[in-house]
This record gives sequence, C-alpha cells and structure tokens, in this order.
Amino acid sequence: MTCKVCGREAEADGFCVFHERAYENIQRSFAAWKKGLNIPWKDYLREIKQNSLTGDWAKEVAEHLIRKEETEDDKTS
Amino acid sequence: MPKYTLVITEKPDAAARIAAALDVDGKPSRVLDHGVPFYEAKRDKELVIVPALGHLYTVAGEKNGRGEYPVFEYKWVPLYMAERGAKRTRVWLETITKLAKNADAFVDACDYDVEGSIIGYTILKYACGGKQTEAKRMKYSTLTREELEESYANVLPSLDFSLIEAGLARHEVDWLYGVNLSRALTQAAKKRSGRYTTLSTGRVQGPTLKFLAMRERSIRSFVPTPYWTVSAKIRLGDSLFEIPFERKVIETRDEANAIVEACKSRKGKVSAVEAKTFLVPPPPPFDLGSLQSEAYRLFRFTPMRTSSIAQRLYLDALISYPRTSSQKLPPTIGYKTILQQLAKTYEHGKSACELLAKPDLKPKEGKGFDPAHPAIYPTGNLPQRALDSAERNIWNLVVKRFMAAFADDAAQKAVKAIVDINGKRFLLEGKETLEEGWLRFYKPYARLMDAPMPRLVEGQEIDVKKVLVRDEFTKPPSRYNPSSLLKKMQKENLGTKATRAGIIQTLYDRKYIAEASITVTDLGFEVVNVLQKHCPTVLSSMLTAKLEEGMNEIQDNKATREKVLGEAIEILKPVTAKLKENEDVIGKQLSRALGKSRLEERTVGDCPSCKTGKLLIIRSKKTGKRFVGCTNYFQSTCKTAFPLPQQGVVKPLQTKCMSCGYPTVLVWHRGKRSWKLCLNPACPLKTRGKSN
Repeated sequence: MTCKVCGREAEADGFCVFHERAYENIQRSFAAWKKGLNIPWKDYLREIKQNSLTGDWAKEVAEHLIRKEETEDDKTS
Repeated sequence: MPKYTLVITEKPDAAARIAAALDVDGKPSRVLDHGVPFYEAKRDKELVIVPALGHLYTVAGEKNGRGEYPVFEYKWVPLYMAERGAKRTRVWLETITKLAKNADAFVDACDYDVEGSIIGYTILKYACGGKQTEAKRMKYSTLTREELEESYANVLPSLDFSLIEAGLARHEVDWLYGVNLSRALTQAAKKRSGRYTTLSTGRVQGPTLKFLAMRERSIRSFVPTPYWTVSAKIRLGDSLFEIPFERKVIETRDEANAIVEACKSRKGKVSAVEAKTFLVPPPPPFDLGSLQSEAYRLFRFTPMRTSSIAQRLYLDALISYPRTSSQKLPPTIGYKTILQQLAKTYEHGKSACELLAKPDLKPKEGKGFDPAHPAIYPTGNLPQRALDSAERNIWNLVVKRFMAAFADDAAQKAVKAIVDINGKRFLLEGKETLEEGWLRFYKPYARLMDAPMPRLVEGQEIDVKKVLVRDEFTKPPSRYNPSSLLKKMQKENLGTKATRAGIIQTLYDRKYIAEASITVTDLGFEVVNVLQKHCPTVLSSMLTAKLEEGMNEIQDNKATREKVLGEAIEILKPVTAKLKENEDVIGKQLSRALGKSRLEERTVGDCPSCKTGKLLIIRSKKTGKRFVGCTNYFQSTCKTAFPLPQQGVVKPLQTKCMSCGYPTVLVWHRGKRSWKLCLNPACPLKTRGKSN
C-alpha cells in the first residue's frame, strides 16, 4: 500500500510515516479549533491549509482530506 | 652536527613560536627541507623544533578494498596512504624521520589535549622509530614566551599514555562505525542507481542527524491551534503602556470578548505593587562551546568559523588554548599581568585600569572543568599584526568576557503591579538596572533589558485607553541553528569539543541539512529512515554515550582499549549484516532521495515563459555544452532556453533578479571572484551596462 499523499510506502491509515503523524496532529487539534471558534471539520481543514504556521506535511494531508470530502459530497449529491 | 633534542609541535605556527621562546637569543634559525620548515635553537643544548601538519597518521583498513564492507581489521598508516588530498604530508614525515635519526632526546610539544597527544604519539612511534616511551611532554595553555619557557623547564617525564589510549580508541571506534555504515549506504545507493555519491554517517553524525530529523518532523507535521490574548492600553504620566491580562492564553474567542466587554469604559486601579531587587552575576569565562554560542548570537559566526578564528588567535599567542571545557581561571595565569598589558590598549585600557584599582582580583567562575586547560582568556599579548574584523571581534569578545569575570554583580530592580479593571486583573511589569557592575565591562555584548516604569502606589487610579483582543496561534517548535545544535550535542554528550563543529559542517557538506536555520533535506530524512528501520542502534545516543563511557574508563585505567573496541565490533557486526541483507531496499530508498537532491541542485527556478515548467541546468548530449532549459520542452510545450558560461562552476541561486524577476545563477572560476548572472539576456541591468 502506498501513501495517499506522496506515494511512499504507507504505514497506517493509508499514510507514510511522515504524513501519518501530520494526520494524527490534524485530528488531535480539531478539538481546540472547535472549542475556540466553533467551526465544522471542513472549515477547519481550509483554515489550517491556509495558515502559514501549518507544517508542509500537515498542509498536504489537509488538502488531501479536503479533496476527499469534496469527492464524497459530489457522490452524495 | 652534534646530537640534539627533537621537539615536535602540532602546527608550523606553533613551531615558530616555541622555537623563538626556547632559543636563548630568541632568534632560532629557520631551515627548509624540501619545503618543510624546522627550526634550530640553542638553550641548555641544541634543539631542533619540527612541526607536524595536524594528524600525520590515520586509521585505515588492513586490506586495500575500497568500498568493501564490513571491515573490522585496521591499522594506523601515514595519512598520505589513506587520503588522496594528503600527498604533502609524505615529505613532512620524511623530514621528521630524517631529523629523528640524529636526535638523542625527544619532546612532544603538541597541544595538550587528546588530539595533540595522538599527533605526537603517532609521530614518535611510527616516524621516529618507537621513541614514544622515552619522549617527554611539554604542557602549556598559551604560546607566550614565559609559559613556553616554564613548560620546557618543567617538562613532564613521559607522555600521558592513558589519555593516548583513550584517544586512539576513539579514532578507531569512529573509523569502524564511519567506514562500515557509510560504505553500506554508499554501496547500496550506487548498486541501485549506478552513480557514485558519498553518503556518510557515523557514531556521532547519525544521532545528530536524528535529532534534526525529529525536530523537522515536528515542524512539518505541525498544526497550529487558535487562542486569544487580551491586553489593556493604559496611560501613566505622559506614556502609554500595553499591559497583558493575567491569563496569557484564552481558549475561546467568546471568553476573550467577554473580558473586553467587562472592561469597556472602566477605570483601572492599582491593587498591588511588588518590587524586588536582585543581583545578576557575570557570565562565566568562555569554554569553547560558550564562545561558539556567543559568537553566533553576536556575529552569526558558525561554530566552525569561531573555532578556526580562535585557533588563529591562539597561534598568535593572543588567547589561551581554545579547545577547552573549563570555565575556570586559576590565579597561576597571572590576572594582574594580563590586565596591566590590556591597560595599554586604547580599547580596553579604561576597563582594565578600573579592575586593577580593585583591592582584590577574584574571577567569578563557571562549573565547567578541564584537567588540561583553563577557560579561554587573553594572554595579555597585543596583536603584532592587523587583525581582520572577524579576528578582532573574537579577540575583543574574549577580552571583555575575561574582564567581566572580575567585575561586581549587576543589580536590578523588578517591579510587578496588578491593575484591576472591573475585577479583571492585568499585569504591569518593569525592570531597571540599579548598578551596572559587570555589564559595563561586557558592553556592547551584554543583554540585560531595562523596561523602566513610573512609580506606582496601591489604590492609584489608572486611565484605561483601550482593551484589545488579539487572535493568536500556537507556534511550531523553532528550528535548530548551528549554535543551538552544538549546545544540544554538548548536552547529549555527542562528540567532543574538538569534533562537534566539524560534524555539523559534514551534515551540510553531505546535503543532509541546509540553511542557517537548519532544515533537513529529503536526503537527510531518507538516511535517518533507512538507519532507523534497519539498524536503530546506530542512531541511538545511548550507544554513543555507552562508548564514551568506555573511553572514559580507558582514560581512568579501568578498561583496556581492546575490550572497548571488541564491544564496539560486536555491536557493529549484526548491524552491517542487516544492512547488507537489505541492500536493495535501502538502495531504492536512497536513490530516490539522491535523484531528487540532484534535480534540486540543477533547478534554477520557475520558467518565466510557460509559468508551469522548471528551468534546469542541462548538458547537451550532442554538443557537450551546458545551458538552461525548461522541463516542458520534453512535452513539446515550451522551448525556453538560456545560454550559460561554459567555463567555471555554475550554481542556482534560488533568487530572482531584482530588475527583471528572472532566475539567477552564481558563476565562479578558480581564483577569481564569483559573480551573479541573471538568465534574461535582455535584462535592463545588462542593457544599461552596455549603453553606458
């Protein structure tokens, strides 16, 4: 299995060692964003993708998750 | 010629100084033998002082199989036999061997530390025909005449063999790790890609790179979280102060807004004032690590650069031996004499005279201790040549730090007041220096910040101008820089004071890391990943610490060199076997990163014509000439190309031309000044030059 973001060998959740940790951080940090700004998951992903302090790998994962959400939305509509 | 004493020094500059100090008239004669200088001096008897060129011997494999691994058999050989660039050392050794034949006594006068002791020992053993057992040892910390004379008069009866054994073991262990692991990586990549690129790692390099990779991973995976801060702008006298709310972090915007709302149009009241006076002692005298850190903070000198400048100043007898871990200044260095000499200078005269007027000279010292040398201090000698600005900066820094150590503590007053605005507490903090003490002697390098504030009394009413909310985000961990990395290595006991700066430089040279604020490259990550996956032991700082412990035991005569080396080989054997077994997988991983790294090296920037392609430095297979072309050429969508000079080295600068915005490259020829070239043939800067 290869990483959904970069094509390297994937470890867990379909991400490589680099992007796996970024994915975990994205999941973990959502609680703080929700508490602070009361925003939904999709808006959160857009916010962190645009934030200059977000790490490159986290941005790549956020972008992947946004694309995934959009594809799923298209399917349901 | 009558029999003489052969004095061996570490470097030619040191030989000149030692010869001048030991000759009764201070005028030794300089002789050249096939370009190798040595000195003839007269003292109690004839002396011949001959320099080495640093290490003249090194560890090499018993068999001559370049690139083969594992190798566990080794021997000490002349440097010119092991390193291509060391041919010059051959004549050097021949001269020393020739001079040794007519000598009846031998003195090792190399720097008194592990490396110096090994340099002297290997020369005496291999080039002088086994004279290491009868040689005497000079011990000194400065190259001043007085100290060298004293050192020669009280020469130690023998070499420090336990120190030498520990040093030899360190070289051998490092060679075993470096050669085996580096060859494993290099061979794996070469077998896969067919191209040779040196990939190195080692006992210290690996764990250091791992620290950097871990930090880089945290930065690249970082997700910021929002928080809010609240502060009030208040008027005190004629000045405006912005004071923070007592809680530094507010987790929700609603709560932050509620605080602002509560404070709106309200007056503040000082509910408490607390003042505290405290003393700030001077920083301890410099050891090498703290000098490197301070020089980076003040002048942005890399540790390597600071180290080499300090070495030059030492060889000029301006400062004491710099490769020390000591932060102590023993009275034997002669505080008063040094200050009296410094008092003669325009720059330091006033401060030195002030210290000399003190009834008692007692330095404030740090905890660092080194049995061989004191902290770095100025010898009191004044520069006999014009120092360049970098040398002057380091010399001034050492002088000022030395003088600061004898000065009084600085006294500061910190004031903390609480301003209550409708039940919400804000903090007003100020600090002022009451007595400058050592700060005066360490100007302009001292960094105690003053933040004065007017006198406040409890119950005083405060005019609140505004209460503000700020959106903030948590920050990723900061990147290491060469100085903070050096401190980390010191803390983790990785490498020695003499090797740390060089190891950091190697990481840059191998392109594992880049930039002053250190980023780990893909290649660096891949090397760490490979080692972490197949042999995590060699990335562990525990292993290095264990081996260091073994070497300390050799020095304390609690373990033998053979035992420590045997243990090191036993650890290494399964590691190399595993690397060999997985050569294909490793090669694949490394080749991909190497390919990317090579491509990055050739990438000049974005194509200004098609905007989607990248400009690459390409060599034409047909003509053999190099030029810059767009990657979209291969898709037949862009034919943009720029000519390049055919001579010299061309390196992408990753910057755009200030005038036209085209990518730029750096061009340099050997022995000439490098120049920046804008790729745009019609760049306004070029046409302006022509029209003029």
